[in-house]
Amino acid sequence: MKVKGFLKDVGGASRVTKARQAKFDQASANPAPYDPIGTLAKTLHPGFLHFRVTEVRDASPTAKTIRFEGAHFPYFMAGQFMTLRMKIGNSLVTRPYSISSSPFQTRGEHPFVEITVRKPRKDGFVADYLYDNVKVGDEFEGEVGLGEFHYGPIRDAKNVVALAGGSGITPFLSMAREIRFGNLDMNLTILFGSVSEDDIILRKELEECVCDKVRVIHVLSGENPNWKGERGFLDAKLIQKYSQGDTTYFVCGPQVMYDFVRKALEELKVPARRIRFEVFGAPRDITTFEGYPKELAGEEFRLTVCQGIHHTVIPAKANEPIAVALERAGLKVHTACRSGACGYCRIKVLSGNFYVCPVGDGRRGADKDYGYVHACATYPTSDLKIKINID
Amino acid sequence: MPEKQKYFEDRYDVIVIGGALAGLASALTLAKKGKKVLVLEQHNLPGGVATSFVRGGVEIEGTLHEMMSIGPKECPLKIRNFFDEMGVDIEWLRVPDAYRFVDGKTGTSVLVHPGDHGNFETPAKEIADACGDPDGSLYQKILELLQLCNTVYDSVNVLSVTHMSKVQMLLKHEKFVKTAGYSAKEVIDTFHLPQKAVDILSAYWIYVGDVLENLPFTIWAVLMADYLGYGSYVPKKFSHEMSLKMCERAMEMGCQVEFGQRVDKILVENGHVEGVRLASGEEIKARYVVCSAYPDKAYTQMIEPLSAVPEGAIKFVNAKTIGVTCFSVVMLLDKSAEELGIKDYSTFYAAEGMDLSEIWKEGSTEGPYNYVTSICTNLANPGCSPKGTCIYSITTLPRPEGWFGVNEENYRQMRQKNAEHFIDLESKRLGVNLRDHILEIVVETPVTISHYTGAYQGSVYGYMHTMDDHIVARLQMGEKENYIQGLSFAGAHQISGDGMGPAVTNGRKGAKIILDMMEEDAKEGK
Repeated sequence: MKVKGFLKDVGGASRVTKARQAKFDQASANPAPYDPIGTLAKTLHPGFLHFRVTEVRDASPTAKTIRFEGAHFPYFMAGQFMTLRMKIGNSLVTRPYSISSSPFQTRGEHPFVEITVRKPRKDGFVADYLYDNVKVGDEFEGEVGLGEFHYGPIRDAKNVVALAGGSGITPFLSMAREIRFGNLDMNLTILFGSVSEDDIILRKELEECVCDKVRVIHVLSGENPNWKGERGFLDAKLIQKYSQGDTTYFVCGPQVMYDFVRKALEELKVPARRIRFEVFGAPRDITTFEGYPKELAGEEFRLTVCQGIHHTVIPAKANEPIAVALERAGLKVHTACRSGACGYCRIKVLSGNFYVCPVGDGRRGADKDYGYVHACATYPTSDLKIKINID
Repeated sequence: MPEKQKYFEDRYDVIVIGGALAGLASALTLAKKGKKVLVLEQHNLPGGVATSFVRGGVEIEGTLHEMMSIGPKECPLKIRNFFDEMGVDIEWLRVPDAYRFVDGKTGTSVLVHPGDHGNFETPAKEIADACGDPDGSLYQKILELLQLCNTVYDSVNVLSVTHMSKVQMLLKHEKFVKTAGYSAKEVIDTFHLPQKAVDILSAYWIYVGDVLENLPFTIWAVLMADYLGYGSYVPKKFSHEMSLKMCERAMEMGCQVEFGQRVDKILVENGHVEGVRLASGEEIKARYVVCSAYPDKAYTQMIEPLSAVPEGAIKFVNAKTIGVTCFSVVMLLDKSAEELGIKDYSTFYAAEGMDLSEIWKEGSTEGPYNYVTSICTNLANPGCSPKGTCIYSITTLPRPEGWFGVNEENYRQMRQKNAEHFIDLESKRLGVNLRDHILEIVVETPVTISHYTGAYQGSVYGYMHTMDDHIVARLQMGEKENYIQGLSFAGAHQISGDGMGPAVTNGRKGAKIILDMMEEDAKEGK
């Protein structure tokens, strides 16, 4: 065969080798790494940040807003959450909180982020701790800007109706603020369900956001003789009343509200792509879920934890996620959503039986085949041996 | 709190930095030789970009379009052979077509199917027919060109593992030798094909980068022969299946694999690797390291002390051109492919025409980009998403430079602008408004790649294949390019270049270099 002539053809390999050598010879001998893409990636996803509490104020008689400052916070998306890592007794726990301040407030001279926590009604040892103990000057570490619960301009309709219950209002306050500051182009109608007027959290803050693009409608479910506004639950009739044209529904609130709202949206024949649910954290009582072996509910198992070549044995309750058992034992486990979805706490079960919370199961198919689970949504149903990341 | 625990052995034979395909291929190869291996991966998953993600409860492929060098069970190609040899059992699904090529300017739209077992009659016929071929002469010419590609491909496969004298090479691998010095354009030109045929045949071009004038024919030939002569495959449970099974097998073979472990430094003493230091500050000993980070990063930031890096290593990285990165819109749609009228697994769409130098120029900007590849995963993997949905991705491979000006403030806007452009392009081509069907959408940018893999400049494609960094020259000069004793590399930045198939080959090569170094050190009593 011939491309250009025998000699030129057979000399090709040495020609390209010479060309390569020549290029190397001419190259600079000064190291000049330049990776602005890597720098931006680190700015947007900085991992764990250290920050301190600079303000604690009441958001209602039963809720507190906590402000954090002191870190270069990433430009998160309104609706996203952050985590806080806390040492409580011998436990090292991490919990997610929706951010109630706006992304815009992480810019400028005095950047901050805020969360709002509600006074816990039942026992919730972390929520209790934060509500009762947090004070100005406290230092925390955590991650800011996680989760998929945010407005997507390509995916979502321009008109958004937010269905919020209780502390589920926080991501919507963040969105409302961002709209009010002119940094988010969408129309937001918030239907906010509370029991009584006293129960409404962040009421003043929400009112401050009201503008031609932000509406806030309070809906009270309790006996409120003097209330002139909407009453009852976030049902189909109410949702329809406040929806206009093509609408995306964002839902954030307690578990019971989800079931109720899901039915209402079904009734209104809202297509699946127009409904976004925030994950709601670990269920209060896993034993009520389908397929959970109720007879084991009170059991405690031995959890053999392998980290590298190190092994340790800790107790693990059948009705608590493995992540909680690890935290109780003072082991560091990287968690974020606490709902089984994000997979930060992916661990491998080497032997033993377990139950995975069926709601929000975010495991990959191949992971399921090899015993990989998300520790925040997996419950031991026998003695277990697991492999977790070295902290 | 418990005392500081001991998580690592006192010493490993080899530490592999990075648990993506190349690193895992290295680990498997070394473990098979009985070496004690530690794999350190910074992310909490194996695979790097060979991964999947879950949105709204549905698993979605992250990046893989098609895996080359697999071949059918009865006629396995080298990557399938490697997996078989290592006991990595992946459920492969054959991709039904090679690609549809659509030129938005000329209106050309042609579906090309791969042949079987190195037979190119089907694609040659389809391409010739699309160009008009009354006497069958065009078919003959295309067939000859593809057969030439196949001959070169066979030679590359032999020569990349066999050392041979130049004379022997000329006798046994004449066509390989005689085309080695030429660009893809120079060789294709000798076939006097109509431009339309060249355009259709060039669809895969973007996978290896640079215009045909500066792209080595050897590389183009390998790509064409592998994809068009044997077809491509995808794992049933997405590329995560491949990554995970390699990882699991490595652990079965005795490798220790640890996630969430970022290596900051490669420690060198007296010119020889002695270990690594983790971001946590912990030092781990090993006299051999396979590094998946780009040499650019290793030689300028990771080696400690940096004075241990010879000048040649710096010149090496400075002489290289970083390859393309990736911009991809991945969607879960709320109708099946059939309902949406999506018929092809893979489409290359040159929306503004097939002027490669224009496309290449555009690829060095911040967009919008008009040369896109779309994949409908369900057409190779039915049932990979819930009934009545499908997974659809639109991708281009821009150069990193276009993204150098991006910052925290304009990043999202740039991402959205490009994503919207892609969706509009494809909506127009398909005659369906995709925006009305998006259940989930994930936009992957160079920044995303950098975030998840740490890849230098977010590049997924290592160093560009160019006429002055030719694979043949890389193979000939490769031995002199191990600048630090005890250190080898594994990744797209190595000799075989980019793609998930070559990643595995690069990983094996990285292991081979280490094994050779071990032998050398043993001989010299080091």
